[in-house]
Amino acid sequence: MAELRRYFDDIQLGEEYDSPGRTVTETDIVIFAGLSGDYNVLHTDAEFMKQSIFGERIAHGLLGLAIQAGLFARATQAYATLAFVGLRWKFKGPIKIGDTIRLRAKVVAKKETGKPDRGLVTVQRTVLNQRDEVVQEGETDLIVERRA
Amino acid sequence: VTTVTRSYFEDVVVENVEETPAMTLTEGHVSIYHGLTRELPPDAALVPDLLPLCFTTGLGWRVPKPPLAVLAFMGIDWQVLRQLRVGDTIHSRSRITTKRPMRDGGVVVEEREIIDQRGEVVQRGRFTYLVAKRAKENPV
Repeated sequence: MAELRRYFDDIQLGEEYDSPGRTVTETDIVIFAGLSGDYNVLHTDAEFMKQSIFGERIAHGLLGLAIQAGLFARATQAYATLAFVGLRWKFKGPIKIGDTIRLRAKVVAKKETGKPDRGLVTVQRTVLNQRDEVVQEGETDLIVERRA
Repeated sequence: VTTVTRSYFEDVVVENVEETPAMTLTEGHVSIYHGLTRELPPDAALVPDLLPLCFTTGLGWRVPKPPLAVLAFMGIDWQVLRQLRVGDTIHSRSRITTKRPMRDGGVVVEEREIIDQRGEVVQRGRFTYLVAKRAKENPV
C-alpha cells in the first residue's frame, strides 16, 4: 500500500506548496461568529462597518488563520505530524466578503529535537487574496515523525 | 437614545488579569470547525489545535465589560503545550502587558493562556491589537 503520510525524512528544506483558492463568504463569517462566540462589530454589523476604514464587514483574523490551515491540508500530502507546537503570525490586511484567498507555503527549517523519532519542521506561510496582496503571513512549527 | 459604550486605548489597564467562564469542547464544535475549514483531524477525539485559540476571543466577550474599540488585529505569537480532546473544559486567562501610544490609536499587547479542567496551561501566547483612542467629540 502506498504511504499516505510524509515523514520528517521525506520533507525537503525549501519545498514549496500552492493551495487551491477559496472564496470567503458571508456564511463563513456567520458560522465562525456562532462557533467562536466572537460577535465583534467588525464581523457582524454591516451598518457600523460602512463608517469604518474597511467600509464593510471583514472576516475574523482567526477565521483566515483557520481557513489557511485547511488550505495547507489541500496543498500537500499530509505530514506525519505528531504535534503543532508554535505559531508566529501577522494580520497584514482585511479579508472581505467575496475575497478569494490561497496559501503559498515553504519549508524554511528542519531541526533535530531531543528525541530520535521526530523532528521540528518550520513552514513559512503567506495568505494572498485575488489581487495577490498579502493578507496574512507567518510561520508554524510542527513536530513530525521520522521513519522507523 | 442609548449608545453602546466602548472602551478605548486610554481605558486599557496594564497588568489587569481577566479570567473568563469555561466551556466544554464537544464533537459538535469540532464537526462545525471541520466543515468550515476542512482541516481534517488524525483522530476524531482530538480537538484541532487552532480551535481552542479561536474560542478564547469569544470567552473574553463573556466577561461583562464595554467592548474594546479594536481597529485591527495585528498579530499573534502562540505555543501549543498540550493536545486537547473532546470532553475537555477550557477557560482563558489574560493580562495586558504593554500599551504603546501611536498617532492614530495605540498598540496593546495581551498575554493569553488557555487552561484546562485540571488547571494546567495547555496553550499560551501573545495577541497584539491596534486600539482606537477616544475621539475628542465623543468623550464617553
